[in-house]
Amino acid sequence: MNELIKHARELLESGEVAAVIGYRQVSAKRTKPVIITDPEETSALVFNEYCLNNLAVYLTKARIKLLCKKNDKVLKLAITAKPCDVHSIVALIQENQIDRDTIHIISFNCHGVAKDFGFDFNGDNLASKCITCETHKPLYYDKLFGEVMETPQASDTAIARIKEIESMPHNERFEFFKGEFDKCIKCYACRAVCPLCYCQRCITDKTIPCWIETSSHQRGNFAWNVIRAFHLSGRCTGCGECDRACPADIPLSLINRKMSMEAKNLFSFVSGRSLETPTLVGSYNEKDNDELFM
Amino acid sequence: MDKQNWEPKIAAFVCNWCTYTGADLAGTSRLKYPANCKLIRVMCSGSIDPVFILKAFERGADGVLVSGCHPNDCHYNAGNFHARRRWDFFHELMDFIGIEKGRLQFSWISASEGKKFADVITKVTEDIKAMGPFTAYKKMNSEFTIDFPEEPFEILKPVFQENSDKETV
Amino acid sequence: MDEKIISRDDLLKICQDVIEKGNTLLTPGAADYSVVKDVSKIDLDASALPSKISYKSYVFPRTEPVLYYKRSKNDVQLIDVNIDSKKIVILGAKPCDANSLNIMKHLFNWDYSDDFFNMRAKNFIVIGLMCSQFDEYCFCTSVGSSPVSEKGSDIFLIPLDANTYALKIITDKGKEFISPYNGHLKSGDENRSKRITENVKLPETAFDSSEVYEWLGENFESPKWEGVGNLCLSCAQCAFVCPVCHCFDIMDEDYSYTEGRRMKNWDGCQFGNFTLHASGHNPRDIQSKRYRQRVNHKFRYYVNKFGEILCTGCGRCSRGCPVSIDIKEIVSNCKNDQKELK
Repeated sequence: MNELIKHARELLESGEVAAVIGYRQVSAKRTKPVIITDPEETSALVFNEYCLNNLAVYLTKARIKLLCKKNDKVLKLAITAKPCDVHSIVALIQENQIDRDTIHIISFNCHGVAKDFGFDFNGDNLASKCITCETHKPLYYDKLFGEVMETPQASDTAIARIKEIESMPHNERFEFFKGEFDKCIKCYACRAVCPLCYCQRCITDKTIPCWIETSSHQRGNFAWNVIRAFHLSGRCTGCGECDRACPADIPLSLINRKMSMEAKNLFSFVSGRSLETPTLVGSYNEKDNDELFM
Repeated sequence: MDKQNWEPKIAAFVCNWCTYTGADLAGTSRLKYPANCKLIRVMCSGSIDPVFILKAFERGADGVLVSGCHPNDCHYNAGNFHARRRWDFFHELMDFIGIEKGRLQFSWISASEGKKFADVITKVTEDIKAMGPFTAYKKMNSEFTIDFPEEPFEILKPVFQENSDKETV
Repeated sequence: MDEKIISRDDLLKICQDVIEKGNTLLTPGAADYSVVKDVSKIDLDASALPSKISYKSYVFPRTEPVLYYKRSKNDVQLIDVNIDSKKIVILGAKPCDANSLNIMKHLFNWDYSDDFFNMRAKNFIVIGLMCSQFDEYCFCTSVGSSPVSEKGSDIFLIPLDANTYALKIITDKGKEFISPYNGHLKSGDENRSKRITENVKLPETAFDSSEVYEWLGENFESPKWEGVGNLCLSCAQCAFVCPVCHCFDIMDEDYSYTEGRRMKNWDGCQFGNFTLHASGHNPRDIQSKRYRQRVNHKFRYYVNKFGEILCTGCGRCSRGCPVSIDIKEIVSNCKNDQKELK
């Protein structure tokens, strides 16, 4: 931890970066994002199994970008990111939302995080994204800390649930999702925490004409959740923040995970893994599968 | 309504340059095909947003057809290539959340394929007729979790009017 | 005050009767207050934390039509909504939740009497249950409530042991509700329940609300708001899970070109376009101003207008916040000059 604090301090003192986005401890099993501009405050920085937040969400915020503008110069922004958060950063760079040169990525060798604050870190309480995680070492970074440790073993319940849903007949599936979406209270927390939901104006905020009804009745909820899932198809990096933020416990990442599986099946594409490849839905290939079309 | 007399309502989003022109050709060639499809002309299959399709279902469509130019024939060069990736995803997503794949169909029909247009419309209509009315989605229009007052008038009535299906194109 | 004793079985019999009469019975679960269909599944647990979502939606639904319209050539016909007047009984309401309707009713009867709210509130029977659990986010004692507060309950239950409850009738509405079931009640001893309520562990008082009130008045332009404004993601889930937040938005939903309905939907002050004017001007254009509004509304404006704090101290907003912003921490730190709000 001291290395992290020392590094952050050096960055801020040298004037290389304008701010460090990181985590600080609030209680034994809970951390909280913190945006540090003063080198004296870097001592609060931590990294552990309770750093659940995906801080990449802050990178596209106008107010954070403003922090970097100092005396007509644009400084870098340092961010502490788990290897999976780096995927989100890569996706944002691919989509031209941020510039790789303006981001200083401080990353860690990660062995998983807890599923939520307040839980002990062990196999039973491992976040579902960590169970199948293949990138314990970040793909891109400017500074790497931490030692490689073993991830606790856990069974992948999410995939079992997807299989279970797929085995249901269509009408049951429809009823299942209708019931799940019915719980939605339209707080849009899923949108707010998603690093890839960076639209200046979301389609659901456009009400003339009203494509997605803002009322949270079944029809409006269904439309919102389907369109949200579609807009993340082939883009979602699977950070699972939407699941954690949802106050109504809708299994949002289940749909996102299913769509990521489809991206892999149909186009052998995994979002946020490479800076060289173009985005999936922003590009095309003339040889794409044509079976769907009569 | 008994199933024998039931006629499905199908919204067809067709591109201006190929499929819509193909439909014109089908008409001028006096080809017969069912009148269940309401054609909605858009400039390119790449400009069809999935919310259009959801809206069609919300407004009582039993099925949706999306049709554009053949690959490499797009008036805007790449519109249909972009659309193709998008529809692959959307089709899988709709299937996963429980909307049968047959309710949402896709085709490429060029301006010279009047016969294919008639065939596709016939096939889509038959498919959706076999599946029956899409009551699951329609039911959502009036269902609320919280006790809700009765609706004073029937939802959706004027958008797809009954009996207007009898005319032939 | 009238104190009775009721056994758990008798209580369930009353619940059964409530359901059989066609009324709605709600009990709290981990996620939200849900409708009970089978009384044998009722689990009255005084040591549970508040559910993720409060029961506000049953009196102020997340979406509801306020009128229907039908347009003809030169005229618009308006059709009123028949407000449903089913009785709703809430069994085991947390003391923090129980007070929510009392706080909200000021707003809904201020310059306009909202029939939708009043009609539903009138048919609400709140059976409160003493609370014996709190976590790091609970702060009911700081906003003038407590785990044993009877405020807002029509009937209040205190668990004496696993199978008996002390039952206090607080309001006339509660008396009217319980009178058909008087046979189930035995007379009780006030000292027995007092011993229990006095021994309940209280969450620590985190702040003095009158001090906060004064600080907010003097520090509207304080740079301290920037810290929390930078962190907050504007998701407004805090407003949606809050038992007393009551902002709403009016939207027209069309069925067709001529028919439609006007809907009243929940809204939240943390959304960027909550205050967006048609001109494009936004008086609360940055997140720090929006967060300041939230705290000011709860601890100052509402107090000015109605003399009550717009907060029950349930801690739901902090428990659910995706970036762990704790309103208790913010409010208690505001007077502290050393600490930034974040």
